[in-house]
Formats: sequence, structure tokens, C-alpha cells
Amino acid sequence: MSARTAVWAWRLAILVVLLVAWEWLTGIKTISRTPGLYWIDPFFISRPSLIAKRFAHLASDQVRLSIWQMALSTVQSTLWGFLVGVSTGFVAGLVLGRNDRLASIFDPYIIAFNSLPRIALVPLITMIFGFGLLAKIVLAWTIVFFIVFFNTFQGARSVDADLIHSARFLGGSDRQIMRTVIVPSALAWTFASLTPSISFALIGVVVGEFLGGESGGGLGYLIIQSLGTLNAADMMVALIALGVIGIAMALGIKQIEKRLLRWRPEYRSRT
Amino acid sequence: MKRSRIIARDLTKTFRDDGREVAAVQGASFEIFDGEFVAIVGPSGCGKSTILNMIGGLVTPTAGGVDIDGVPVAGRAPRQVGYVFQKDTVFPWRTVARNIAVGLEYRGVARAEQERRVREAIGLAGLAGFEEAFPATLSGGMRQRVALMRTLVVEPEILLMDEPFGALDTHTKINLHAELLALWESRHQTVVFVTHDLSEAITLADRIVVMTRRPGRVKMIHAVELPRPRDVIKLRETDAYAHEYSALWHVLGEEFAERA
Repeated sequence: MSARTAVWAWRLAILVVLLVAWEWLTGIKTISRTPGLYWIDPFFISRPSLIAKRFAHLASDQVRLSIWQMALSTVQSTLWGFLVGVSTGFVAGLVLGRNDRLASIFDPYIIAFNSLPRIALVPLITMIFGFGLLAKIVLAWTIVFFIVFFNTFQGARSVDADLIHSARFLGGSDRQIMRTVIVPSALAWTFASLTPSISFALIGVVVGEFLGGESGGGLGYLIIQSLGTLNAADMMVALIALGVIGIAMALGIKQIEKRLLRWRPEYRSRT
Repeated sequence: MKRSRIIARDLTKTFRDDGREVAAVQGASFEIFDGEFVAIVGPSGCGKSTILNMIGGLVTPTAGGVDIDGVPVAGRAPRQVGYVFQKDTVFPWRTVARNIAVGLEYRGVARAEQERRVREAIGLAGLAGFEEAFPATLSGGMRQRVALMRTLVVEPEILLMDEPFGALDTHTKINLHAELLALWESRHQTVVFVTHDLSEAITLADRIVVMTRRPGRVKMIHAVELPRPRDVIKLRETDAYAHEYSALWHVLGEEFAERA
């Protein structure tokens, strides 16, 4: 058995043990005069079998808003927020990173806005952009922008001055040097921020969905709705779906990173 | 009489360090002629790299100035100048071939012509088979070959080299000396080569500018009387080489000794 298969075997084993323990522990009744009390109450954390049942129900067409539609809405808003946040953050990071004057002018504003807890903006954003997709995208954007901005900013500043000089001696204009030296060099820094960015985009979107109601849809809506009906199983369905979405997106980014940063030794040795 | 290409007049550079003015270079003057290979040697910290940077326009002199082909150097690198850094300045995100092509790309050379010249350069540098390799997979010597070819491929008339082989082991260094001399024999660019390695300077140069310790002044300018073309390995066994070496060592030794 190769090391890789062994790792996967362990992962699977842990999952199975957890699921079995969960199912079993939430099935034990307490010895008590009050009937129907559980040792660990599935009311709060549900049970795998129940979750599977609810999933099947939510995935069927018996419901008005299926889990697929909700997941799609969440993924859509996350990706949009991510894309807009990454592109604007990248451009802003490059521009300010290469321009000391602009950087020092904007510095206090950036620090101030970034230290603002983004959750505090949710009501305002909802007020301005309503309950739909747009509000969620804007919320994700306000978070992702800064993560990518700060990383790219650092990356653009730490471009090796000798690489730039050497490009200049080879006849490079400012634009050409931006394209062939500064952007690729900063990209390594930007990529380091993308995995946290997608997680934070997802956080922004879900928080937006908490407030957004049915028109915004999404898995965050399912969670809040389940809170209203005290339905732990539905909440678990939403949480697991969010987990799967998070992993899928993180893996997607890793793939793009491997392709774009294939010149870096750490990506070459493992292929 | 050959055409003069680089004239340094009273080059002086002081840096501010901790509020104190520290002179790195003090009134260095010399003239370099077309097709000449000139080495600048001196103990470390004597400002020889600073001189090269002032010639290349990377550092602005505090006093004095440099003319290249009669035009004062101000800020930007003159177009006919190529520069090879001591540090590895190969772009790590470009393959060997695309690294060598980058200067041609900047200058808008046609695609086909780019490919032709890159192929030729790769052949000359013995990098065949590594066209598509990324620099991270190459040895230090190969990376410096790429840096050298990348500069030569745009055919600079003046080549400034700042201890380009300083980080390499002796064996690789000597191989690169042979390659550099072979390339230079065919084109006779004007070369200014900074080094602290006396044998490197004697092997390569027509004339050697010997610097004093900091603040760097020109101590003497020595003409190397060794015939060309030179065989970098056999050269070292000749009496002429030994003679050159001991003469210069004596002069330079004074500068090293006083440091201790």
C-alpha cells in the first residue's frame, strides 16, 4: 500500500468511526423516570440517518426550494464575490504597491476600513442592495478585496529591484516591466491569499443569506429557516453542503495555482 | 587611436549612513576605449560596484560624472549598454528560452527572428535541451549562462558586468571565462568587468583598474601584456601570467593588508 492510499484509508476510517459513533451515541436512551430522554439528544445534533433522510427530501422536488437551488445560489454569489474581490484587490495592490505616494495617502483609509468588522456592514449593505444576489456579492467582495489587496501590495513591493533593473537594461518599458516582472512576481503572493479568500467569501455570502430571506435563497437561508423550526437535521444538511462546497473551491484554486506558478520549485517536485 | 566610449570624470559617491556621510568612491577618473575589456579590481567595499552602477545610471554620482559615447549618463540606462548582475536576475517564471528572448521581446523583434537568435544563443551557451526548463531546476552556473546570453542576445555594444561569476565554484567559473572570452573575441564589445578576484581580472582583461580601499580611488591602471586569444587554462601556467599576477598582487596586497 502506497503512502497516499494509506492516508486515504485513514481519512475514510476516521469518517466511518465518527459517523458510526454519532449514530450510535444519539440512539442511547437515558435510564430515567421521564420517558424518551436521550443520553445525547439528537434534537440538538441530529443523527446521520436522519440527516440523510432530510437530504433526500430536500434534494427531491417535493420542496419549493431544493438544496440544489440553494447550493447553486450560494456558490454563484461566492464565486462572483471572489472574482470581483480578487480582480479589484489585485489591481489596487499592484497600483498602490508600486506607487509610494498613493500608498501613503490611502494608508489610513485602508487600515480603518479593514479593521471594521465586516459583519457590521451587513445591515447597511442589505439596506442599499436589497436581499438578493447583489448584496451577498458585495459583502463577499468587501472581505476578499482586502485580503487580496494586502498580499498583492506586499508582493508588488517586494519585487527584487535587480530584476527590474535588469529588465530595464534589456530595454523594457514601464508597461513591459509591469507585465513581465512585477505581475508574475506579485502573483506568487496573491495566490497565497486566494485559499483564505474563498473561505471568507463563503462566510460573507452565508452571513448575507442569514439576513437575506427567501429571495436571496442559499444555504445560509436554509440554516436560519431551520433555526426557526428547530430542525437540527436540516441545519446539518446545510453545513455539510457548505463544507463540500468549501473543499471543492479550495481544490479548484490549488489547480489554478499549480498551473500558473508551475515555475516554482515546490510545484515541480510533486508532479 | 581607438574611439573613446566611456569617460569617468572625478566620480565621487557618498552615502548617508546613520546620519554620517560615508564616501564610497572618491574622485575616480578613467577612460575606456572601444572594444576594450577593462576589469575593475579592489578589496571588498572599495566602491567598485558603485562605480559600475554609476556608469550604468543605476546610481547618481554625488560629484563628477560619466559620459558614454559623449553623452552624460543621467538616470536611465543608455540603450547600447547591457548589464550582468552578480545576483541571479534570471526571471524564475520564464523558461530558459523565454528568458533569453525577453530583451528581444521588449525591443519588438519579430517572432521568427527572436526564435532564431534564441536558438543560436542556446547553442553557444551549451544550454541545448534546457530550452523549456525553468530556472529553479538549473545550477547556478547554468542560470548565470542564461543571464549572460539574455544580455548578449540584444547585442549591447557596451557590457557592464558586476562580479557575474562571484557566486560560482572555481571550475564553473573557469569554464565561463573561456566561454565569455570566446564570445567577446567574435564581437569585441566594450566590457567593464568588476571583480575582487585578481586571477579572473588578469585572465580576461586588457587593462585593470586597481582601486584603493574605501573610500575607493583609482590606485593604478595596469595594462595586461598577455597575447590574445587566451586559453584560460594554459594561461595560468605561463611565466607571463605569473609575472602579471605577482606585480598586481603586490599593489593590491598593500590595500588588503591595511584593512586588517
